[in-house]
Order: sequence, then C-alpha cells, then structure tokens
Amino acid sequence: MDVTKLYRRLLRLYPASFRQEYEGAMDRQFRDEQSDAKGWKEKVALWLHALGDVATSAPRELARELSQDLRFALRVYCRRPVSAVIAIGTLALAVGASTGVFSVTSALLLRSLPFGDAPRLVELRFSPFSAGNGRAGFRNWKNHTSYLEDAATFSTSEMNLNSGRDALRVRVTETSANLFSLLEVQPYRGRTFTPEEDQPGQNHVVVISHRLWQQAYGGNVSVIGSVAHLDGAALTIIGVAPSRFDYPGNVDIWVPTVFDFEVIPKHGAFLWETVGRLRAGITMHQARQEFKADVARVDPKSLQPNSTSIPDLVGLGNQLSSQIRTSVLILFSVVLLVLSTASANVAQLLLSRTAERHQELALRSALGASRSRLIQQLTVEATALTLSGAAIGMVVALLVARVASAVMPAQLATQNYTLLDWHVLCFAIALALIAGLVFGIMPSWLIGRIQPSTQVVRVQAGSSEPVTARFRSVLISLQVAFTLTLLVSSFTIGSAFLRLIHTDLGFQPAKAVMLKVSLEGAKYQGEGAKWQYYSALKDRLQSLPGVRAVGAVNYLPLSKNVLMAGTIQVESGRKVSGVVLNGSMPGYFKAVGSRLISGNDFGFDLSKSPEPPVIVNEAFARESGLGNGIVGRRIVSPWTPRPYLVTGLVTTARMAGPEYEGGPQAYWPVEEEPPSALTFVASVSGDPRNYLTRCRDAVVSLDRSVPIYDVKTLNQSLDETMERPRFYTASVLFLAVLALLIAVAGVYSTCSRAITQREHELGVRIALGASIQQIRGMILRQGAVPVVFGILAGIAGAAGCGLIVRHLFVGINASDMTAIIIPSLFLLLIVIGTAWSATTRVLAIDPIEAIRAEH
Amino acid sequence: MAISAKDVDQFLPLSLPVFHMLLSLSEGERHGYALKREILRRTDKRINLGSGALYGAINKMLEQGLIVESDERPDPHLDDERRRYYRITTLGLRVARAEIARLRALVQLAEVRLGIPDPV
Repeated sequence: MDVTKLYRRLLRLYPASFRQEYEGAMDRQFRDEQSDAKGWKEKVALWLHALGDVATSAPRELARELSQDLRFALRVYCRRPVSAVIAIGTLALAVGASTGVFSVTSALLLRSLPFGDAPRLVELRFSPFSAGNGRAGFRNWKNHTSYLEDAATFSTSEMNLNSGRDALRVRVTETSANLFSLLEVQPYRGRTFTPEEDQPGQNHVVVISHRLWQQAYGGNVSVIGSVAHLDGAALTIIGVAPSRFDYPGNVDIWVPTVFDFEVIPKHGAFLWETVGRLRAGITMHQARQEFKADVARVDPKSLQPNSTSIPDLVGLGNQLSSQIRTSVLILFSVVLLVLSTASANVAQLLLSRTAERHQELALRSALGASRSRLIQQLTVEATALTLSGAAIGMVVALLVARVASAVMPAQLATQNYTLLDWHVLCFAIALALIAGLVFGIMPSWLIGRIQPSTQVVRVQAGSSEPVTARFRSVLISLQVAFTLTLLVSSFTIGSAFLRLIHTDLGFQPAKAVMLKVSLEGAKYQGEGAKWQYYSALKDRLQSLPGVRAVGAVNYLPLSKNVLMAGTIQVESGRKVSGVVLNGSMPGYFKAVGSRLISGNDFGFDLSKSPEPPVIVNEAFARESGLGNGIVGRRIVSPWTPRPYLVTGLVTTARMAGPEYEGGPQAYWPVEEEPPSALTFVASVSGDPRNYLTRCRDAVVSLDRSVPIYDVKTLNQSLDETMERPRFYTASVLFLAVLALLIAVAGVYSTCSRAITQREHELGVRIALGASIQQIRGMILRQGAVPVVFGILAGIAGAAGCGLIVRHLFVGINASDMTAIIIPSLFLLLIVIGTAWSATTRVLAIDPIEAIRAEH
Repeated sequence: MAISAKDVDQFLPLSLPVFHMLLSLSEGERHGYALKREILRRTDKRINLGSGALYGAINKMLEQGLIVESDERPDPHLDDERRRYYRITTLGLRVARAEIARLRALVQLAEVRLGIPDPV
C-alpha cells in the first residue's frame, strides 16, 4: 500500500471538524517530510514520530470536539426540555428494567461459580451407589466410576444449634469428608475435614459458615476448638468457611456425618445428593452416557420414561440456576420487548426533531460543515441522551435487582444479583452506546444528503417526507405489535393469578397463626415427655384470650416441607399410592379451618378407642374408590402391620399453595409416636398479626430452652407462596402498562406531526369545502393502516409469547382466545382515541393562513 | 475593544511550542509547515512538532484569537496558494509579551537565589 494513503487512513482517527479543517495540510506536510527524509532510517523515524503524534493528538482533539458538541447538545435540549425529559425518562425505565433483569441473568448464567475449575463440577440427579452400604459402599463406587475423578455426597436439613447462649435453628449439611476438597474451597479460618473424618468416632467436628461465625460468635477466632451442640450432639468447631460460601444453598454448618446415623439422629426424609468432578478430558456428553450405564447397573427401573424423576448428570452451574432460569429468561425477553418499544419511540422523537431542525442543519451545511460533521453532532446529541437515560436507569435497575433478590433469590450467596458486575455494566453501557449510535445515524441517513442549496433560507419542511413517513409507519406498527404482545401476556398471566387467588385451599388461612417448636436436643426425650410438653403448650396457647382453637401437625400446608409419602392399602384391597403421612393433634382441623366432612376429630385419650384411628382427606377417599363411605373402613400402612380405622374425612388441603392440587393424605394421632418437632396452629378472632408476640411469649414462658421459629400468620405464609406468581404478574403488568403509555405517546406525537406537516394541504382541502370531520376521518383512516398491521403482528407475537409465558407458573392458559381478543380491542380503542384527540389540531387550521404561508 | 490584563493572564503560562509559534509569527506570516521547520531549527531539533500537535495548537490558538488566518499570500510565485497562512493578532502579541515578562521575572528570581551559572 502507498504509505501516504496509509497516513491518510490514520487521519480518520481525528474528529470530523478537525479533519475537515486540517486534513489536507497534514497530509501535504507528511508528504513533504517523507520526500525530505533520506535513507530508510529517517523514514522509519518519521513514521514512528507520526504514529506517536496521532496517538497523542487525536484523542485530545476528539475530547475537545466532543465537549463542544456536548455543550451544543445541552443547548439544543434545553430549548425543548419536555421532549428531552420524555425521551430520557422512557430510556431510563427501559434501560433500567432490562439492566436489572440482566443482572439476574448474569448472576445465574454468566458468572462462574467460586469453586476451583467449576465447569468440571456436576450434580448427579440420582445417586448410583447403594446408600445402605454406607461409607465403604460410597467410596467403593466413587473409586471405580469411569467418569468422575472424585465425588461427595451430602444431605441438608434444619437443626437446633446451641452454642452456649440462645438456641438457633440453622441449615446443616451432613456430608462426606471431601466436600470442601472436591469444590477446591479453602477455609477462611482453621481447617476443613480430613479424608478420614467421616468415619464413626472421628466425625464429631463441624465447619461453620462465615455468616454464622459473624452473627452467632461475633467473629471471634477463639471459637475454633470450642464445642457446639447440634440437635444435642456435642461437636468441635474446626474451621470457618470463606465469606459467602453456603453451598448447597443457605447452609451455615457442615458436619461429616452423612454415613453415621448415631451422632445426630436422623428423622424425617433423608435425601442423598451427590456432586462430582468430571475426569480431565471427558466431555459432558460422554460423562452422561457413562452415568446412565452406571445407573442402569444399579437401578434399571429408574431409567424408564414413566419414572417420577429421570436420573441425569448436569453441570453444577445449570443445576443451581435450574429453578429460576426459565422465568428469568422469559422476563428478560419481555423486558427486551419493552426496550424495543421505548427505542422505537425515542427514535421517532429524534427523527421528528431532526426533521424540524432541517433548516438549521442545511444552514450549517451551507456554512461549510461536512456531512460527517453533522452526523457526528447528531450522534453526540443522541448518545448524550441515551447515556443520561442509562445513568438514571441504574436507579431503576437497582430497584429491580433488589426486588428480584427478595422474590426469586439465587441458591448460593455468591450468585447475588448485583449491578457491580462487569457483565452488567458492559451490558448497560453497550445498550446506551448502541442506541445512541443508531438514533444518531438513522435520522441523518433518512433525512438524506443535506445539501447547501439556494433553498437554505426557506427549506421545505416536508422535503424528505416520503421516506421518514414510511419509516415512522413501520415504527408505529412495531410499537403497536410489541405493546399488544405484552398486553396479551399480562392479561393471560393476570387472569391466571386471579384464578390462583380465588382457589379454594381446603383450609382457611385468614384467621390463623402458626409457630414451630423443636425438642431436638432439649430435655424432653422419650415419647411421654414430648407428649406432655406438646399438651401443655396446646393448653397454654388455648388459654390466651381471643384464641378459638389450637392444634398441631407434622406438616402444615404452605410450609415447604419435604413430605413423606407411601402406599396405603384399603380394606377393599385397593392400594392408594403417594399418600402423605401426617400426624395431627386433636383440634388441628378446626384450628386450620379444614372442614370435617364426616366422622370426628381425634379424641384426647387414645386408650379409649378400640382400634388406632386415622383421618383421611377427600383425595384419598376418591382414590380409594370408596368416596364418603371410607369412614368406618380399615386401612393398612406399610410401616405398621396393624390396621387403622378411618374415623374421619376432611377436605383436601393444597399443601404447596394454590398452584398445586392437594394429594391424598392420611392423618393419625401424633400422640401415638410424638415427633421431635411440631407445627402449632391457632385460629383467632380479630387480626391474627396481633397474636404473634402473645403466642411466642406463651411458648417461651413454658420453657425458654426450646427453640421456637417461623412464628407468623398463615396469610403471611400464603403470601410467601404467592410471591413469585405475584411478582411475575406485577412485573409483566407493569411492563405492559409502560409499553402502552409509550405507544400512546408515540401515536399521539406522530398524528400531531402529520397534521402540522400537512397544514397547507389540509388548509386547501378545508378551503375547497371539506368539513373538519371529513378531514379528521381521513387522517384517522391513514393513521389506522400501520396500527392494524401492528395489531395483526401483535396477535402473532402474542401467540408465540403465550407459549413461553405459560412456564412462569402453574395455571396460565395460553390458548385462551378471549385473552387475545380483549386486549386487541382495548388497544385498538385506546389508539383510535389517542389519534382522534390528536386530530383536534385540525380545528386550529385557518385555511387562509395555511394557503398564504405557502406563498 | 480594549484588552485587559485579565484577558491576557488567562492564557499564561504558555506551553513551549505555542510560545515558539507566537515568536515565529511575530516576525511575519507563516504556514503550518514553515512554523514547524522554524521551531525545529531554533530549538536545535529539540522540539519536533508532529502535524497533529501542530495543527491542534493552531486550531486552539485560532479559537482563542491569538492568531488569525491570513488572506494575503506573500508571493504567489513563491508558494503554493493552497497553503494556509497565519498571522499573529494584537491579543497574541500581548500574550507573548506577557509570557516573556513572566519568564523574565522567573529567571531573575532564580538568579537571585542560585546565582548566574557559567555557560556549560
């Protein structure tokens, strides 16, 4: 390449105005110097000098010109502050909402986990070793797998921690000794487990979380070596985990007792989870094949397609985000739709403004400003607008991220949603810059080549109208389409949410208070002592003024418990499977508001009943084939050979909240075998929130060493269950309303602008005898074309969106035609109304003035 | 319009290349490349302005009103008429003089404190 050409290319790094002024002189000077230079040494020195000069002076000139352009932009926006504020506000909301949702996406899908070589970590959705064989069996399996380098198994549950002062309820992971080494996590203080510490006799050690160390032990280093009591078992604290480490999720204590059923007694469901590290060089696909072969050897039945949970091997990152990933991606797409609507609006606004400034731009062009100089100016103006929008949008983003953390928290503390993440910041800045560039270049491109001409003094405002008008119609269509898609989605989701709210739960949460107590590690051991405590507590709660009924149960609806289910055989020989086995205290059904359809609640003295009693729910009665006739029949549970007599039939409670049908349940008297933890419910008169402190005090006054937790009204519990559906409904509705407002503003401004531009033509029409109504009708008809196209496109978009949003929560019916028709009509009416009100401008047209202005 | 001392002071201190450019222009009109060569000669090749730095400084001085573009060409036969010539303004002269005074005061102060050094 010719070296002087190369130099000319380099000169493109300078800003437009500077280049226009000095490019020729600089180029000539370089050529002169080039011909003056003798020998290759001088030529190289000249080039090096030129490169250094460009590198230092181009940024300086760029900064100078940008600051001039910015000052000019500020003056331009100050002249028309309302439209600038609207544009910045729209962008702030749209960019903020997308950045907020992106922060969630980034935390879950882009940020790597804080574990060593995290991509090789996998979770096994089935443990292909026989848990019954204990430590030896596990080690044997893990040492012989072909796909894993190492594996750890664990189980997580809640326990009582007594560290000398108050009793605390904490989440504890019982694990094999190698969990920390497998994840390659180093302790913050002390040490983690040695490989042999998961053997009986050596496993009386715990590692505590950084959070627990701070909160319960005040960050005191001397805590290492001290003893903590976990469900009554004395264990030595050997280390503190690093800050924010809480794997497998919100865990405060790790104990190497997963194979030992003696140190900490196990009760309730005990679920084994297994995490592994893939062998180096093996792909996920190969590993999955070998895992399936492994499972097939141990339990071929589980691989059948109709099995309840299909064994699988998934990357740990995917596993940890699987719960909310779909919802986040859906929300992200929805928010991008709003961003597009907002962008279309801002684009229109800038387009109109550039058209209005045609005269100014033509004048500057006539005074010698080059085309690139004008484009640079417009781009700087647009970028200043989008960057200010994005900067204000960060506040919106912060709010969105906060709400998201509260409503759909990530599983691990390290996956927190923050804006201070380079992915998120880059996203926001890139969004603003790209938008600024597009908004800046697009109007200049559409307006066409701005030529200095004899028309400078009096430029036809509509000289480039056909192109911009067409483009504006496309923008309107797009806006209407996006808005309709969002409206339909919010209508679909909103009606599903209303259905959820009105679902009969099978119990009455409105007037009830709940609280949990655990006797684990307390002085009440033995069934008699436990029963005595529970009875005394029931009496104490019952004696509180305003309390109507008190009862207790193993698993209260909405409590997010892991439920134990089994198969029960009915007298007739029929088997009912998946029955949740629940224990209840007399008075429970009355307290929780479940109706006894027939039969009676349990009595207080079991010795009076000839046979052990059991109460079943309607779902059970239905599946047993006996219906209401089940009362008086006998059933057999898999755990006790004795038959139970069905003495009562109650309504089916939706255990997991209104989204999910309640399954069959069998309640038997907890007196028979009092568990170490129970949930008490009290139905009260008046506002249940007023009873929370009183109920807590009643428990503490009975025995303050017993930990009490989850003291709340049942309505609060229901609210927690409904939080996600409510969040999705509210956010989609909010976004739809936002999009609607943006679209209305867009339609209004387009209509008004069309009238202003055609003032002359309309004036002539009026002068020739057209009535105002005819004119308004004509404008409306012309404006309706892009709207109708938009609505048609929106219906197609809504159908596609419906297929996606139904994954947000149970009960969303995406194929409901009314959900498409009603919002479409609504939008059409709103748009027509907006356009009609914009056409009132026609009334102000004076035909004589309009005609005269043209001459 | 009268130029006040305050108007002049806001430009001080001048950067060395700008000072040299003003000095050169005080002797007569020059185009950019001539300025560059003259400064190179005067400073014994110690200040070698690249064209970006040169025209950046010219651009700024034009904006500040220290120099203006000249319409007259010294001699059409001698030079390429596409070259642009620059001329120092009254303000430019005042600023250059003020810089000289500033430097002189500085040198005097230094002489009092450190004495006059022997030429090396």
